[in-house]
Amino acid sequence: GDGRGGGKTSTDLVAYKNVNDVPFTKETMIYVDQRNESVLIPIHGFMFPLHISTVKSVTSRQDNRTCTTRVIFNVPGTPFNPHDANTQKNQNEIFLKEISFSSKDSRHSSEVVQALKTLRRLVASRESERAERAT
Amino acid sequence: MTDGHLFGNILLAGRGGTKPGQMRVHSGGIAWKRQGGGKVIEVDKADIAGCTWMKVPRTYQLGVMVKDGLCYKFTGFREQDVSSLTSFIEKSFGVTMEEKQLSVCGRNWGGIELNGNMLTFMTAGKHAFEVSMADVAQTQLQGKNDVFLEFHVDDTTGANEKDSLMDMCFHVPNSNTQFVGDENRT
Repeated sequence: GDGRGGGKTSTDLVAYKNVNDVPFTKETMIYVDQRNESVLIPIHGFMFPLHISTVKSVTSRQDNRTCTTRVIFNVPGTPFNPHDANTQKNQNEIFLKEISFSSKDSRHSSEVVQALKTLRRLVASRESERAERAT
Repeated sequence: MTDGHLFGNILLAGRGGTKPGQMRVHSGGIAWKRQGGGKVIEVDKADIAGCTWMKVPRTYQLGVMVKDGLCYKFTGFREQDVSSLTSFIEKSFGVTMEEKQLSVCGRNWGGIELNGNMLTFMTAGKHAFEVSMADVAQTQLQGKNDVFLEFHVDDTTGANEKDSLMDMCFHVPNSNTQFVGDENRT
């Protein structure tokens, strides 16, 4: 994981190399970028990009006409957390652990949750396959 | 007005929604007016503590720090506006323009900077996002290591957003040296 191996590994995660690579969204919404294996999260005017490998789980809950989407990220020291090199290495850092959003568009919310889950599964299985092949 | 610069189609970033407005930067300060009326922001040059530029996807963002701790951010500037506005602002307001860089590396870990009433999350030494403490409704300590921030959500700001931010939670490991907690706290 010295970053010169070519291709993305979980120890050297980069969502975007350059600001111009970040896709532009006109609407304030969570956007799953399949191509760059990232998710863009709207925080008060900022589109905060997060690599999919930082995502631990995604849930959504619907009551009445509002949908709540909750994204939980990997942090060190969580029980049953797979020993990820990132969370082990950066012990002095502060982690974004959880974030939640409300939406009146339940269809959009379920699409986001589905897309995130699928992308996460895809990347996770590819990474574990790669790790297996390496041993 | 004869002096200053006029820009159309400028967005007030933050919780202002997505309606563009007109911005005027003149020798006495700055003024922004939402298209079709409504919100107006006026800052006198005596109240300006500093200005920043940040390259964001597709466009440029101007940050205006006000002396009482608030920070307004405007997006929609073109590349050629940056240099002309920089010299105008530095000359008329007597502040130096700083350049901030947006972090796009995709990490969920980094540092936290508290400046005025702004909380900035920095990843890889660059700015990832900022939230204003004025928008925080409630904070809570969860366990010994988690800080929970709940934001005001109302219909006016959330009306044209597909997803509105409700809350976020930061995990501060025991090993962190910037915010050493009080061990005796229960």
